[in-house]
Amino acid sequence: MPEYRVLLIESNRIMMERLSSVVRNTKNFQLVSRAMDAREALGQGGVFVPNLILLDIDAQESMQLVREFVRAFPQAGILALSSQWNAQAASTVVKAGAKGYLIKPFTSDELIAAINTFGNSGMGMISEVMTFFSPKGKSGKTTLIANLGMALAQKSGQNVAIIDADLQFGDMAVFFNLDPQSTIVEATRDIKFLSPISLNSYFMPIADHVRVLCGTKRPEFAEDVSPKAFAEMISMARSLFRYILVDVPSAFNPISVAAAEASEQVYLVSMISGGYEDKHMRRALDIFKAWPDYETKVKTIFTRVEPCDIQKQQQLETLIEYPVCSILPNEYLLVSEAANNGRMAVDIKPGSPLARSIDLLAAKICGRPHKVG
Amino acid sequence: MVKQKVEEEIRSGIIMTVFSTASAVGKTLLSINMAAELARSGYKVCVVDLDLQFGDICNYLHLSPQKTIYDAQKAAENTVGQLDYGEYMTPYEYEDTIFSVLAAPQKMEEAYNISTQAVIEVLAGIRGEYDYVVLDTTATFSDLNLAVMDLSTMITFVGIVDFIPTIKNMKVGYDTMRSIGYEKNKIRFVLNRSNSKTHIELQDVEQLLEERFYHILPNDFLTAIDSIHQGIPLVINDEETALSRGMQELIEKYTNRARQRSSRKNASLSSWVKRLFK
Repeated sequence: MPEYRVLLIESNRIMMERLSSVVRNTKNFQLVSRAMDAREALGQGGVFVPNLILLDIDAQESMQLVREFVRAFPQAGILALSSQWNAQAASTVVKAGAKGYLIKPFTSDELIAAINTFGNSGMGMISEVMTFFSPKGKSGKTTLIANLGMALAQKSGQNVAIIDADLQFGDMAVFFNLDPQSTIVEATRDIKFLSPISLNSYFMPIADHVRVLCGTKRPEFAEDVSPKAFAEMISMARSLFRYILVDVPSAFNPISVAAAEASEQVYLVSMISGGYEDKHMRRALDIFKAWPDYETKVKTIFTRVEPCDIQKQQQLETLIEYPVCSILPNEYLLVSEAANNGRMAVDIKPGSPLARSIDLLAAKICGRPHKVG
Repeated sequence: MVKQKVEEEIRSGIIMTVFSTASAVGKTLLSINMAAELARSGYKVCVVDLDLQFGDICNYLHLSPQKTIYDAQKAAENTVGQLDYGEYMTPYEYEDTIFSVLAAPQKMEEAYNISTQAVIEVLAGIRGEYDYVVLDTTATFSDLNLAVMDLSTMITFVGIVDFIPTIKNMKVGYDTMRSIGYEKNKIRFVLNRSNSKTHIELQDVEQLLEERFYHILPNDFLTAIDSIHQGIPLVINDEETALSRGMQELIEKYTNRARQRSSRKNASLSSWVKRLFK
């Protein structure tokens, strides 16, 4: 582990002592300089060659300050310190060049977690939330999300989150054989007291760069998840993950609508099963057409498409009178076995037609220029 | 409210809710066939589409409703005294079988804005006019579904032994229903597509649920799909299939006509299996 040479800027004396002590007592961290006044640190801090700056942003106009520190200490990473989480402020300081945002006071473990989380890529406000919405029930979207999440992490090398917000009957925990200590119920309940670092621990790691926030353990807990807290949680998760995939209950309900509104992309997913899927897809699309930018924001995916070829895709496009973004082949036995064994993360082999189709979709998503907004 | 009370005393239809914790298990198909079979048996029947947003009953029956449950609840709200619900029904008729359909709303915003209370009032009104009211639902414990299950005579809990997540949800759903106080006797498990491609044993599922399946329907996906494309419920179609027979047997059990035939719960399975291998 590298040695961190810390410059600490904190305007409150008591807090300064407290944080200094934490930094000094954290392995591989050395407190090389401290200042109560940011201006002073800007002028003199360079002497001590810090590579990590912990910058209190509660006392000063943060945007400008962060910019000046980035300019003055180009080789150092900057973590903004604040006494509470504020999505707006976090977004502002990261845009200005800070690597991340840490709630004070923090512990040694939290400091190390922050470095590990924000260390390489930075917390980066470049994040993309994707909601997978199914008009009427069974769509195969849980399978899609599980596999897409892993494909995205592999392709991009960046952090991916899967949020199981199918509140009553979410299956993500079963798919990955997880017995979570914390779920979406706790994450949304605690959101007011959380920072990105502490929120991260509510997600269970399932593979390199992929974490899952599991759904409720029992359907009656679903009503504990308020749409507002849920949206706040997604917003905070943005500072941890490059891609966030959200599985929501079918049809229009407060949670699926909140997720869709918090997303850059909404995927309407429907499974071909010989019924009236195209009708339901059109009906759902009609609602999303109220959004001025629905053509870029709303995409459609059909699963269990046979034969899974371009002709069939065009035929579906004609039926729903809307572009079809992706079609996935039927792999019922493969998928059900993987799910039954809780081995979704390893059992779908890269060479299978399903995996190849999902890979293609992942490549599209990774290749998309990021739209700020 | 007083008016409804009096009505219920005069005539109170049996409310049969079809519910599941997984979607696409065949709730709608079963609902329309239950309605058709009850109607064929001479009862006055109404089937109500409570998948308000994406209801399929009218798709499956090839009906184009003029009025829906949205209009019915609106009218009930604005009417003092007895409302004639007949006006809001879409009749389904095939050969000698007739039953009523109370359709899901045409527009999504109508669906989104119907209150649970309004639906309950409509149901209270129509149960006075029918022998049987069959309710097709969505696979969720929504306010609406809980409210209609409360007032249901019987809940047909449709399941598929398909893969572990589905079975987990069936178990979790059943436990929830028991924990909110529904009698075991009120909930009847019906297994659909019993011989579909699966490695899961039926007995294991029953052990997990601590409950036997009340009835088992054979897997005949193509016949089912064919029926919804024709718009004719299987039980009143001319062609008898194992699936249509299975559905008829379910209704025989529900209406107590099969009592003397067998008390074994899996009778239907063995009988159609026997026929298949004769």
